[in-house]
Amino acid sequence: MPTGLFLTSDPWINWGWLSSHVPLFEDALQQHLTLTAIAILGGLVLSLPLGVAAHRWGALRNPVLAVSEIFYTIPSIALFSLLIPYTGLTEVTAEIGLIGYTVLILVRNVMVGLEAVPPDVIDAANGMGYRPLARLMRIELPLALPAIIAGIRIATVTTIGLVTITALIGLGGLGQLILRGFIENFHTPLVVATVLSIALALVADLTLAGAQRLAVPWARNT
Amino acid sequence: MNLKLNSWRLLVALTALTVLAACGGTTTPSTSKGTLTVAGFNFPESSVLADIYGQALAHDGYTINYKLLLGTRPIVVTAIKAGQVDVYPGYAASELEYFNKGAGEATSDPAATTAKLNTYLQPVGLVALTPAAAVDANAFAVPQAIAAKYHLTKLSDITPAIAGQLTFGAGPECPTYKFCLPGLTSVYGLHFKAVKTLDTDGSLTRAAFKNGSIQIGLVFTTDADLKALGLVVLDDDKHMTAADNVLPIIRSAAASDEVKTVLNNIDAKLTTADLISMVDQVANQHMDASAVATAWLQKNNYSS
Amino acid sequence: MEFLGSIWRWFSDPTHWSGADGIPQRLVEHVQLSAESVAIGALIALPIGIALGHYGRFGDLAINISNVGRALPSFGILVIAFQVFGLGDFPIVLSLTALAIPPMLTNSYVALREVDPDVKDAARGMGYRELTQVLRVELPLAVPLLMAGVRTSAVQVVATATLAALISGGGFGRYIIDGLAQQDPIKGFAGALLVGLLAVATELSLARLERVLVPRGIRLLKAPAMQRTATFKTA
Repeated sequence: MPTGLFLTSDPWINWGWLSSHVPLFEDALQQHLTLTAIAILGGLVLSLPLGVAAHRWGALRNPVLAVSEIFYTIPSIALFSLLIPYTGLTEVTAEIGLIGYTVLILVRNVMVGLEAVPPDVIDAANGMGYRPLARLMRIELPLALPAIIAGIRIATVTTIGLVTITALIGLGGLGQLILRGFIENFHTPLVVATVLSIALALVADLTLAGAQRLAVPWARNT
Repeated sequence: MNLKLNSWRLLVALTALTVLAACGGTTTPSTSKGTLTVAGFNFPESSVLADIYGQALAHDGYTINYKLLLGTRPIVVTAIKAGQVDVYPGYAASELEYFNKGAGEATSDPAATTAKLNTYLQPVGLVALTPAAAVDANAFAVPQAIAAKYHLTKLSDITPAIAGQLTFGAGPECPTYKFCLPGLTSVYGLHFKAVKTLDTDGSLTRAAFKNGSIQIGLVFTTDADLKALGLVVLDDDKHMTAADNVLPIIRSAAASDEVKTVLNNIDAKLTTADLISMVDQVANQHMDASAVATAWLQKNNYSS
Repeated sequence: MEFLGSIWRWFSDPTHWSGADGIPQRLVEHVQLSAESVAIGALIALPIGIALGHYGRFGDLAINISNVGRALPSFGILVIAFQVFGLGDFPIVLSLTALAIPPMLTNSYVALREVDPDVKDAARGMGYRELTQVLRVELPLAVPLLMAGVRTSAVQVVATATLAALISGGGFGRYIIDGLAQQDPIKGFAGALLVGLLAVATELSLARLERVLVPRGIRLLKAPAMQRTATFKTA
């Protein structure tokens, strides 16, 4: 006889079921964090050079912004579905989409951050003998950090929400439990996974906000 | 205090933390016979079957990854053809009519149907193993009230006039399945008033029956909750559906003799009654598919 | 370019332009769901944001509500709404409205905060009473940033409405979800294209509305990018 809780009623959160199924949520959280981390790191790696380039060559600015606006409106499930014939029902498909959206957010913030560097500072740096790359790495990017971290915050919270949708292509992290709650008409995994996803996003946001304050004590709080 | 340096240090530290938090993957034990990915369709019975196959293989020494509730047959087949999935629990006749693009070759003979299926699977690097006695076929249910109103006991009782007053509900894959809308049209000549896209015998379908937005819908023959929901299955008297016996569809490359033996042994013992009770436990009693699968394996002498 | 040929064929197929699953019907459904959600969201978010911005209260909450909005997993919200309210448009509009509110609330708050305090002083000095001051002085100045919030919201609602198909909703999401379920990439692409076009159309028509609403003589204000909600993606 299988062990387990025989549920005849279905409360919104069945605490007994929840307490006996913690590993399920741990696994889901782990997958969720992994997918998110790869998206943010990948996004940073791609958006920093892109943002710098768009800032350096003004002609790129508007096209980059325009293209990113357009891609931003593509629903993620549509993008994932379109990639399936090429990259399959894999993490790669999910990450292409997730990294893409992260890049769209971060590029904009890198550009804005770099644009916000006062021209006087650039002048002073040039006067001190900084060559462009050194000036970028040691003066401009650190000063652009508030905007960049603000972008990372937005990207992280957004990505944590979008990861749940990848449940529709076999992944999902916490989204997998949402899917199960949906298909099995079972409230608890659905509600708890949704709440956890929100909590995860808010905790990440608060942590990054703290990091932002630490990293740039001179900047105004956003 | 060098603020710039601190900022970079902080960013690096944050990055490292994130990576550490996310990393924690498992490594394949060195004694494993290999890794297999078992997928299931987007309904509870498939989760149970996938768990049964997977746990049996795991017990035999394989490392199993699961992709449960992966999606509809088109999605799962895409995945197995591309090698992202190694095994899934299929249904003989439905698989045949999917791979032969609805040619209508499935019969009520599971062995013949499977043999025919394998002629289509072989060119795409797949193979179907021995079908079980357990059957789960598509069925079409109406609420009691509708059955009484139109005197319906079997599908051929639905005249064109009646069909024109009924809204039909099923999942998004239904318009492409031989044993769904196309079959109802070709075998029974049914053209419904409207078709509502819901889910594969899930909560959307049941909700639609309940609020009256559909009067006839797709269910499965292993559903145990139909009577309680006031639904009555109409008899498929013209035999539109065929031998939908459970059987593993597996990539030929993964189909070693050992794997085949394990899976065929399961099919030898799997009955329709088993399916009905297991689906009831997962879909209606919210038990874990994996727990239900373990119980079946233990009862049928394959401990896990 | 076989793919493009298939897309062209899909769009030239007359059966795709008629009936319950035809483009016109799906367009109507999608616009209806989106418009209702944004309208109701605006009715809730704008007065609150405007009031908070005018009085300068609860600023942290108003600014961070967008973050909370971004944190909502639209898939989970839609399914919970279905399990609570059942089938139909109500759970869909409810979920989309919840997602529409945050950007509009944040932007209207910031928009009112950005109004030059000297202008507010002058208005008060001229004898404007509270409500009139808001309506006739502050709001016109706040329109650009406020409308930016409405635009952001509307575009994201149009995109997120595609998920409504998961709980049997209509709209262009039907093509995307059905295309995935049937593994018909042509249908899926057509759906994505249609949603994209609708999103662009939404953006453009709201931009035109903004031009109509901004009083002559007031140039488009450019708000600090960090406080303005320009990036909001829920699907």
